[in-house]
Amino acid sequence: MNKRKTYPYWNPYIVGVGIGLLIILSFVVTGRGLGAVGAFNGIIASLVHAIAPDYALSKGAYSTYLSGVEHPLKDWVVIEIAGVCIGGLFSGIVSGRFKFEVIKGPGISNVTRLIFAFSGGLLMAFAAKFTRGCTSGLALSGGSVLSPGAWLFRISVFIGGYSVAGIMKKALN
Amino acid sequence: MAPLQFSLELSETFLLLFALLTGIAFGMFLEKAGFGNARKLVQQFYNTDMAMFKVLFSAIVTAMLGIYWLSYFGVLDITQIYINATFIWPQVIGGIVFGLALCSRDSVRVPPV
Repeated sequence: MNKRKTYPYWNPYIVGVGIGLLIILSFVVTGRGLGAVGAFNGIIASLVHAIAPDYALSKGAYSTYLSGVEHPLKDWVVIEIAGVCIGGLFSGIVSGRFKFEVIKGPGISNVTRLIFAFSGGLLMAFAAKFTRGCTSGLALSGGSVLSPGAWLFRISVFIGGYSVAGIMKKALN
Repeated sequence: MAPLQFSLELSETFLLLFALLTGIAFGMFLEKAGFGNARKLVQQFYNTDMAMFKVLFSAIVTAMLGIYWLSYFGVLDITQIYINATFIWPQVIGGIVFGLALCSRDSVRVPPV
């Protein structure tokens, strides 16, 4: 792997136009854009249902994804995210970027880095429940159809990110 | 008239296959932009690499123009498409939390990629 050529990243504007065309195609065929975090609603609901079926069906947060469907995992956004994983992996391999690595600064241990990565991920998922969407489903697809909430969300994400970036950079490296 | 899901009454199998294929294309685009790498992503917030901003906004502008003109020429019926609902405070506060969590997830000191 080390000897293989690593191809450079694509021009971001070209990727952006490509994703934009993909969103148009998705709206034309299905009437929806792309999503990401929605996939985890179905996955979590089916896990909770497997452990405690009565509880899952009594709570709206889970039952929405369980009732009236054949199987919570047989859902477009779950399949789409499986596709994202396949596509990302394939692209990483053919571009010579596929490797196991903990990406971190020099002054921080692997464990600390992973704890922050994991807790950041937890908090993102938690926040995405409040906002009813993430950067794909809300900011990108919702932003394209001019949903006011999507634009508020996008602006807020940048405010949140920029406000702590300086501190995080010092503290976590 | 699009969305084709309603006008052609597309089968569930077709829609799931379509979701898989759009997912694969989306994943490849994201990886090709460098979004498989925290080092690349977090630089947005240090203002040393604006790739995230460029990708997101060129995607939105492209999709907006496409949807607008398809609707204008009567190809796409925008009354039938899904538009995300707005909840002002949850989306503002959730967005801020999402942004700082994103920073916690990806924060690394960055040599240029």
